[in-house]
Amino acid sequence: MAVFNLKNREIECKIVYYGPGRSGKTTNLEYIFKTYKKQVADQMVTIDTEGDRTLFFDFLPMGLGKIKGCDVKVQLYTVPGQVQYSSTRKLVLKGADGIVFVADSFSIRREKNMLSLKDLDQNLKECGLSIFRVPLILQYNKRDVGGSIPIMSIEMMQNDLNKQLKVPYYPASALTGEGVGATLKECMKLTLVRLQKEFKWAQ
Amino acid sequence: MSIKEQVKSVLREAETYRTQGLFNEAMVKFKYASELIEKNVKPENSRLLIEGITKKIELLKKTISKYNDPEKPPEMPVEIQNLIKEKFSFSTDKESAALDGAIALTKFGQFDRAIKEFKELLKMESFRLVAAKNILRCYFASSSSSSSAKAAVSQYKEWLPPGLFTSGQLEKIKVFLENLLKEKGVEIKLPAVKEEVAAKNAPDKAMPATKPLIEMPESEEEEEEFLDISSVGIILETGGKKHPELIMDVSFQSGNMVSLIVPLREKLLIENLKAGLKLNHVQFYSPIAILNGSGVVSAFTRIGSGPKMGNYSLDLKMFTN
Repeated sequence: MAVFNLKNREIECKIVYYGPGRSGKTTNLEYIFKTYKKQVADQMVTIDTEGDRTLFFDFLPMGLGKIKGCDVKVQLYTVPGQVQYSSTRKLVLKGADGIVFVADSFSIRREKNMLSLKDLDQNLKECGLSIFRVPLILQYNKRDVGGSIPIMSIEMMQNDLNKQLKVPYYPASALTGEGVGATLKECMKLTLVRLQKEFKWAQ
Repeated sequence: MSIKEQVKSVLREAETYRTQGLFNEAMVKFKYASELIEKNVKPENSRLLIEGITKKIELLKKTISKYNDPEKPPEMPVEIQNLIKEKFSFSTDKESAALDGAIALTKFGQFDRAIKEFKELLKMESFRLVAAKNILRCYFASSSSSSSAKAAVSQYKEWLPPGLFTSGQLEKIKVFLENLLKEKGVEIKLPAVKEEVAAKNAPDKAMPATKPLIEMPESEEEEEEFLDISSVGIILETGGKKHPELIMDVSFQSGNMVSLIVPLREKLLIENLKAGLKLNHVQFYSPIAILNGSGVVSAFTRIGSGPKMGNYSLDLKMFTN
């Protein structure tokens, strides 16, 4: 739920990184935090457990500077991916203006990707949003992990996840940073265009 | 691929999944490797390897059970609790936002802080009952059954003397607490409300009351706790005729009040809805159940600006059967 301050011409929007557990959502934010220092407005808040699982959420505030005469701020969140944290996932998703769905390229995680996307669809409906209308980007993460690990082809992932949605997608490696910036930029672009259509914030 | 290479490859895969935190997947692969060895390698040559794999499987089992049965969530630093309060309060008015914040703290398992916040909310008449129930809920969520029951019962007893709650409210709190105790399998008989309140409210015989005692009416708003409602279906009745159900998504909810956007095309609704109108056939759709009930139109106004301009905003007070 974007917040507008018409007087100061400020817009603050919320982008949520969604996806199955261990797909690399926190790693995306960590890379953004390290790499885009100029844009990062404050410390990244991350609360994880012993096993690096996100228990609650990660939070990273960024300032993009002036766009079309408006000071644009964006807040990045990750949700806990594990199935049992459904209620916190819903709470974090509430008010999202844009979503990055981080899918795991490991073949063994194929079903988990699909279940998580279905979960996103359901939770968006509960927030009164449609997965077909919300600014959404798919990221196919862990493309760098090869060797003995079977990974899915992009075609297969497209077929599984993006056949109906037909949204922009990016192969990525959150660990090396490949595709991370491009994913975020595209998501911000879609989000701001959508908000412009709805609220005519730009001059 | 020879058996040796196959086993090596499966073990490498299992190890990668383990380091990636994919413990279930790692266990499946370790078990598969173990089976491959047992089937294809002579026992005298495989004993050590099988033992090593078994140890890894046992460790993984422990890790998985730890994650599947997490202990009490860790207490976060105050700054993060403040962030939760700030970022997960979606209501626009200050009081409702305070309630949102306290509920968010509960959802994130920050029970001690949530109790503090709910206790602050006890000062506000409109949130008193819901805050009290949440305080009791927090006690139960934050510790073991026996100690939480003790804390909750002691809290209830603290609320019994007249002043903060009406006897009607206390009766509701009592029923709520009894249900919580029952759920947890704790048998404790709670002191009755009316007797205590009545006894303490009773005018002192030695000093006759100068004013009549007036029982405060109970607010309907405090009757029930409501689920998150995602959409509402209204069956309008005009001239004794029932019209087809119109389902609209909820744009905002606060307690038993929901806001809906009525599209301009829904002429029948627009022509008939007005503040104060009782709708006898309403279905409330929540993620876990569909509730039948009724509603009273609290406000019905045309939206004059923004992307929904021209449509109508309907505020509906919900009553479930």
